[in-house]
Amino acid sequence: MTSVAAVDVVVIGGGATGAGVLRDLAMRGIGALLVERGDFTSGTSGRYHGLLHSGARYVESDPISARHCIEENAVLRRIAPATIEPTGGYFVATPDDPDDYVERFPQACAAAGIEAEPVALHGLFRAEPLLSREIRAAFRVPDASLEPWELVDANLASAREHGAEARRYQAVIGFERATDGSLAAVRVRDERTGEERTVACRAVISAAGAWAGKVAGLAGATLEMSPGKGSMLILNRRLTSAVVNRLAPPGDGDILVPVHTVCILGTTDITVPDPDDVNTTRDEIDALLADGERLVPGISGVRVLRAYAGSRPLYDASDLGEPAHDESREISRAHHVIDHGRRDGVGGFWSIVGGKLTTYRLMARDTVDAVASALGVDAACRTADEALPSPASGTPYWLGDRLAAHEADGGGNAELICECELVTLSRLEDALDERGDSSLDDLRRTTRLGMGPCQGAFCMPRAAAVLDARRPGAANATLRGFMAERFRGTRPIAWGDQLAELWLTAGIFRGILAAGDVPDAPSESPGVEHAAR
Amino acid sequence: MPRADVVVIGAGLSGLSCAAELAERGARVHLVAKGMATTHWTHGGLDVAAPGGARTMRDGIRMLAGTDHHPYRMLATNADAAVTAHLARMAAAGLEHVGSLDDAFTGIPTALGSLRPASIMPVAQSAALAPWGGDGLLLVGFGRFRDAWAIYAARNLAHALWPGGPRDIRGVDVELPGLDRLHNIAPQILARHFEDPGWRGRALSAIAAALPAGAWRIGMPAVLGLDGHAEVHADVERRLGHRVFEMASLPPSVPGMRLFDALRRRILRGGRIQIGFDVVQVERSGRRVVAIHTEAAARTLRIAGDAFVLATGGIAGAGIRARHDGTLDERVFGLPVAAPPRERWFSDDPLQPHPLEAGGIEVGEDLAPGELANVRVIGSALAGMHYLDQRCGDGVALASAHRAAHSLAARERAA
Repeated sequence: MTSVAAVDVVVIGGGATGAGVLRDLAMRGIGALLVERGDFTSGTSGRYHGLLHSGARYVESDPISARHCIEENAVLRRIAPATIEPTGGYFVATPDDPDDYVERFPQACAAAGIEAEPVALHGLFRAEPLLSREIRAAFRVPDASLEPWELVDANLASAREHGAEARRYQAVIGFERATDGSLAAVRVRDERTGEERTVACRAVISAAGAWAGKVAGLAGATLEMSPGKGSMLILNRRLTSAVVNRLAPPGDGDILVPVHTVCILGTTDITVPDPDDVNTTRDEIDALLADGERLVPGISGVRVLRAYAGSRPLYDASDLGEPAHDESREISRAHHVIDHGRRDGVGGFWSIVGGKLTTYRLMARDTVDAVASALGVDAACRTADEALPSPASGTPYWLGDRLAAHEADGGGNAELICECELVTLSRLEDALDERGDSSLDDLRRTTRLGMGPCQGAFCMPRAAAVLDARRPGAANATLRGFMAERFRGTRPIAWGDQLAELWLTAGIFRGILAAGDVPDAPSESPGVEHAAR
Repeated sequence: MPRADVVVIGAGLSGLSCAAELAERGARVHLVAKGMATTHWTHGGLDVAAPGGARTMRDGIRMLAGTDHHPYRMLATNADAAVTAHLARMAAAGLEHVGSLDDAFTGIPTALGSLRPASIMPVAQSAALAPWGGDGLLLVGFGRFRDAWAIYAARNLAHALWPGGPRDIRGVDVELPGLDRLHNIAPQILARHFEDPGWRGRALSAIAAALPAGAWRIGMPAVLGLDGHAEVHADVERRLGHRVFEMASLPPSVPGMRLFDALRRRILRGGRIQIGFDVVQVERSGRRVVAIHTEAAARTLRIAGDAFVLATGGIAGAGIRARHDGTLDERVFGLPVAAPPRERWFSDDPLQPHPLEAGGIEVGEDLAPGELANVRVIGSALAGMHYLDQRCGDGVALASAHRAAHSLAARERAA
């Protein structure tokens, strides 16, 4: 079945950039629809290390990106304070880091407008007692920890307030072109119902990140992306209270980001042909831990909850006149707005590639500037002037707030479905009220269900029963899907306590519940006469 | 300074059974364990051997005994006596069982609404074993008890392939009285409530009011009492006027607690038990272990013995632990662990058997590991079994405990 709709601009991609673009368009009065092939924030935005960059990491290798980062860092603290935990950050020099880099660093930061304050080592070790005593220099920078799910949700909520629409599980399957070759409509398929529809539009913005090459291909344009797989490890507690970076040119295993109750050790950078390749290898894990040891000795013995990877939307800009690069880390993190009308003869089509999550708003501004001008709209960007709606404008998430609420609430629907992340039955039901078509993995992104040490062993059957009450017959497939997705992240780090945890999970699911034998999609009504005799 | 004939390390089904058997034979037994064991993670039935294709447990034992490296290769001859002795111990503690190694497997419902094979069950779970005839199956959940999913499970069971199954399958949630002030109710809390006759009467009135007309068998969360369990179960059946069976769900397992407690009491008649004591050092003299040192809150304790039984479990029970480089350590004696190479540890589907599950300690016919003459290895620490897939963990635990107890008792007599 095909239906037709019309809108000024279709935005492709429901990560931070797409959500930012949608908000920017809407605030300038341009009608827009965002389509995302999966859940919002399920691509690279939801699979990054959680760092709000100060830009200090790129002061030498990529000064433009460094300057963008520090400017946007200040903007986000203003418009989305609740998505940011102001942890601060350190750049620390280990014995393996080059001396000359330590010397050049403060000046390079100053040139980029980044405050980098030297820190006395005794003060550093008092504040961060687990850091290696071999560290020989340290600077404090305005890094912070940033919650991507809430940031994207807040941008989408703001965009909706300004009249835009965003729809998930809508995969782009093709485009329709006008006689002059420009794009006239986008064809999308609902990934759940299979229903296809055509959305007529005046312009298309691809904010598909690492997948932008695939989208451009569907439109008849050529865009060579170089997706950079970055793998990270989630450690089960905060080893430091501030972000810690190696004081060296960007490399593997050189950053530790405290995020809520855990911390994230990152990141590798491997050019991969397929952005959907987000499997973490054992070599990557060994490399991350070996380098992590230089920051926090003994880190290899800390319980690792999970490994995950994201695909950086890297774009080799050599065809825009920059020199070619061999290594993915050398490719600029700065963003590029590509006008495919000028470049490939496909009018009405722009791609926004490169960039960092920290600079998503700037990327959106530059893109919408170009598109608005082409559409003859002269409204200016206002996304830095207006705070994002709550909860992004409130106070940062803290697990302790949930505990206090749980203790104050008493009975009713306050039962904990997920003990690790203190997700109550009422919170789960609220999330289902808001997005009734959610899978268990989607609910994880909105509630943090199943993100703790047990990785769903206890909360998932409980949550499946709650979901089944709302959508009879829908729970089994999503329960199995969730366990498969969690396993992808626990399998590479299955040693020590987390391997024992995996065996407990197996004991519950296979031994006690025989979960492999439940039917995939039992039909609607319970308690019917048994059919199989 | 304590001295024992046999020191048993580990408090799971194998360690407890071995210690009970030795105590029954008059040995001075000292059981130490790092913590509570996997008894509290179980469904409460008895998984002796149910590999795919087996019709009875005895069939299953025979099939597994013919499998390379499986512990039943040497333990099959012990299985019958070990299971008989276990069921006698359970009966003596008021935990009667139904069924035998020769009964055909029946599919019994799980808390999620699938079927798993069983043929020996405690009385309180056994109503699901009998042919259904014209009976319907009613699953009862309790409001605010988050680990029973009656309606969800009923929907799944209604679509299970279940030849000879119930006439009708339904699920209902019942609000139990007087739980308003409790949060996140754990199964053992409900079990204690069920032991209180006054509360039980009110709860059963609420359940009775929710029963539809007709002949039903009722599946309920496994919370029907701890110490007074047999009496509670009988009373529930009498007052509801239907047969009632327990269904275990997420840990902790109340049926597992009952089992643990029955064996613990049995051992305490003649032996010692210390739980919360991690082994931190081993004294050896050549190929013999002389003593172990345990560590608790304030001090270390040296426990000397003539023989030592390693019943610390596999990876799940933490008797075997993996390092991040993939090395597997047996944590008490440092015995070598046989396992597939690391790149073959897992299958791709988390719900399928993983090759690493068969990892463990390799032993000789007397269950002694090569290098230590007065040590016996029993239970899930043994290499070669897929205890979840083959549903053989309980049987191997009992048979190996039985074999170890006999071989050590024979040594005693010879000495």
